[in-house]
Amino acid sequence: MLEVADSGERGGTVLLDGAVPGTRAGDVGLVLQEPGAGIVSATVGRDVAFGLENIGMPRADMPARVAAALAAVDLTMPQDTPTFALSGGEQQRLALAGALALEPAVLLLDEPTAMLDPVNAESVRRTVDEVTRSRGLTTVVVEHRLGPWLDLVDWLVVLDPTGRVVADGEPASVLALHGESLAAQGIWVPGFPDPQPRGIPAGVFEPSSTGANVLTLDAADVTIRRSVRALDGSTRTTVAVQDQWFQARAGQVHALVGPSGAGKSTLLLALAGLLRRQGGEVRLRPDLAVDGQRDPRELGTIDLARRVAWVPQWASSTIVSHTVLDEVMTTSRAVGLVESEARVRARALLAHLGLAHLEQADPRHLSGGEQRRLAVASAVVHQPALVCADEATVGQDRLTWAAVMGIVEGLRDTGAAIVLTTHDDAVTTRADAVTVIERPVQPPPAPVRRRPLVARAGPLSLLAGASLAIPAGVVSPRWSTSLLVLSVQAVLAVIALWAPGRGPAPTGRLRGVLLRLGPGVLGALSVAWSTWLLGGHEGGTAFTAGLRVLIIVLPSAVLIQHVDADALGDHLGQRLRLPARPVVAVAAALQRVHTFGEIWSEIARARRVRGIGATARSPRSVLAELWALTLGMLVRSLQSAAALAVAMDSRGFATAYRRTWAAPAPWRRADWLVVAASLVPLAVAVLVR
Amino acid sequence: MSTTNTPATSAGSTSSTSPTSTPPRRGSIRASGQLWGWRTVDLLTVSFLGAAFGVAYWAWGLAYTAPAAGLEALFPPLQGITGAPWLMAGVVGGLVIRRPGSALLCEVVAALVSMLPGTKWGFTTLVSGILQGLGAEIAFLLLGYAAFGLGAALLAGALSAPLEALYEWQTWWTDWDLGYKLAYAGILTVAGAIIAGGLGWLLTRGLARAGALGAFPAGQEARESHAV
Repeated sequence: MLEVADSGERGGTVLLDGAVPGTRAGDVGLVLQEPGAGIVSATVGRDVAFGLENIGMPRADMPARVAAALAAVDLTMPQDTPTFALSGGEQQRLALAGALALEPAVLLLDEPTAMLDPVNAESVRRTVDEVTRSRGLTTVVVEHRLGPWLDLVDWLVVLDPTGRVVADGEPASVLALHGESLAAQGIWVPGFPDPQPRGIPAGVFEPSSTGANVLTLDAADVTIRRSVRALDGSTRTTVAVQDQWFQARAGQVHALVGPSGAGKSTLLLALAGLLRRQGGEVRLRPDLAVDGQRDPRELGTIDLARRVAWVPQWASSTIVSHTVLDEVMTTSRAVGLVESEARVRARALLAHLGLAHLEQADPRHLSGGEQRRLAVASAVVHQPALVCADEATVGQDRLTWAAVMGIVEGLRDTGAAIVLTTHDDAVTTRADAVTVIERPVQPPPAPVRRRPLVARAGPLSLLAGASLAIPAGVVSPRWSTSLLVLSVQAVLAVIALWAPGRGPAPTGRLRGVLLRLGPGVLGALSVAWSTWLLGGHEGGTAFTAGLRVLIIVLPSAVLIQHVDADALGDHLGQRLRLPARPVVAVAAALQRVHTFGEIWSEIARARRVRGIGATARSPRSVLAELWALTLGMLVRSLQSAAALAVAMDSRGFATAYRRTWAAPAPWRRADWLVVAASLVPLAVAVLVR
Repeated sequence: MSTTNTPATSAGSTSSTSPTSTPPRRGSIRASGQLWGWRTVDLLTVSFLGAAFGVAYWAWGLAYTAPAAGLEALFPPLQGITGAPWLMAGVVGGLVIRRPGSALLCEVVAALVSMLPGTKWGFTTLVSGILQGLGAEIAFLLLGYAAFGLGAALLAGALSAPLEALYEWQTWWTDWDLGYKLAYAGILTVAGAIIAGGLGWLLTRGLARAGALGAFPAGQEARESHAV
């Protein structure tokens, strides 16, 4: 129903109220599976307004529509709340609000609760039900876990693996008629008992000599703070895990449960030695130590891979090989197992997981569920003593669920310690131990500090001010003039950084400028030296060249950090009248920049725990890793771009040739002052000759 | 409206080479539909590509100091080699999107993103991004937005350099003797062709093979070469 720009072909016709879908922008509302995948804007209110901007609604009419849509999905936080601070469930309801603002006729929901904890999932289902009934919408949900939706849906259509409709009718009658065969095909039909894990063939894993219940991993007082670096260079730190204790014993399955955002995945990474801790200890059992070192964080890539496995939640970005078989063999090869024996085990696991026929396929072309199963096989085929798996059963049907859990329990029975984060009750009930993680208490927010004068200016005047330094540097004729220009700039910088008013003074103003200016000073020295060398060995000329560099970079060091990246799009579109669609696309990308670093770290972690991480001893491994990380980061960012494109088009962006803007882009007195002040050094350079 | 807007279906309607049924393709597949008809996925892909390059550019801005100092000690114009990686976003943006403006936009976004957290060169980063992106754009324009193979990538990488070199003559290397200035421009051009053009081409091929360019001509080419 959405015109999707992706590979594939379509035949037949789709009509919506007698017309082709897309006739009216936003007539088909969409919520994607991954929370946050469709978020366009930095704040909650602005994100809901996105569709209204696309249909050219006057700014004055927007607040009422935005407030109504937010109320309908029960999001009550202030509208300037940052979108990245929302929980997964709130992000899904925000997506719903964004769709509702355009008054859709149809809502399409693609497994909207698959990645949520039970509480968040229930809140989303309740909201979907409410808006569907109160607004008289047609809502289509794609799901393979029927249970929680069953009471809400009026009609059930079942597709088989080839996409053919095999059942179509009222839920009760479809389930009465086909329930058994659907469950046998793998669909989670309510009322049927959870599947039994399907045992792996004997001999795939060797029995271990470790006695059951031996403490394999002992973690005490683990504290982890995670920092996100914003585009303006500032960092935001949250406490992800606080003083957490955890023990994993050989021959046991441990479930880590708790609400989304509680820090389960972070703790799991710390247990696997993949994160730096800000406090506490993680120790493997003594016989797993390397030269007395028991902390997995301190082990080299190969030593770590032998002992510890990690199954990532995002299996697609941690793929390292070009065929499925090579992917499974990667760690066995890295740690030096006998190739033929390892291959027998790899094939046995692939067959068990229903991936045998894909042995020579490119793993990056598999479906999400297949990639997750492949990640399980690749992580454990060499039988490590500790297995840390992040949501390993998400997106699996009854049959593949049974296969994955069969591997988990098979490993357990041969003496491995297994730690699983999960929201899946069927997993938790089978676990030998369950640990509930609560979201740690966050430190109180920092007090609001006075702002320097320069922070009152908008992005365009700041950039203009920084740009005026270039002609000032270039036209300055000799070192004495340059020195004068630089002094004027320094005085202006002090004024710009002055923060009058009441309240606590801002910290680190000078340090920030010096930190940014430091490399510029090095650059000035280097330019001065090369000018002396290649420009006739004249000291005066070289000095002038060095000063020119400083004149050009000093204003940038003061001004650019105050450019508000979130407002940049509004100003470029409204003040400079740049074409709206490219500007909005760039602004949407700027919102996501902080996630790119996380993707980079995640791929680096996956390579390390699989035995192919870079080591300082081998420059070749460093280069290989750089290439792999760059490629991986690009692949993931392009996947986000494709998903976001679909979400944006479902909110009328494809046809948004006469957009309006929900936020104004004012040009204030501070903007005039910044530009005027930035002209002073240029005037000095021109006049004092 | 009976098919989705894919390179697969629209390449046939725009290519003027042969109307017969699926002949073996020669040369590159053009952008789908109208050359100027930017789809949402084109705009977002070029923006995200640019932003990702921006992060990498910023990191290279920290890492390049040591190698650049080493080359400078040998012969200052050799710094063109360490400058060349900053030309790559334009090449890749052009190779992936294949529409007028894609190379320029990708390089400018990359420069913007690397400038905002604070770089050694401040606002000049953005000026350089515009000039480098323009250079790459000129290369694709000269080829009529119809060729996107290795040769086109090398040309785009090379042409990213001259405008940038002219600008750097005015700002940084003003008082170098002309011979050295020309040497710098030459080295930046050759390094741009090899590093930005060659590596950019490899990177684009890698992205296509990873299945990340399904909606683009480069992804279509990768699928065809797989099918053969």
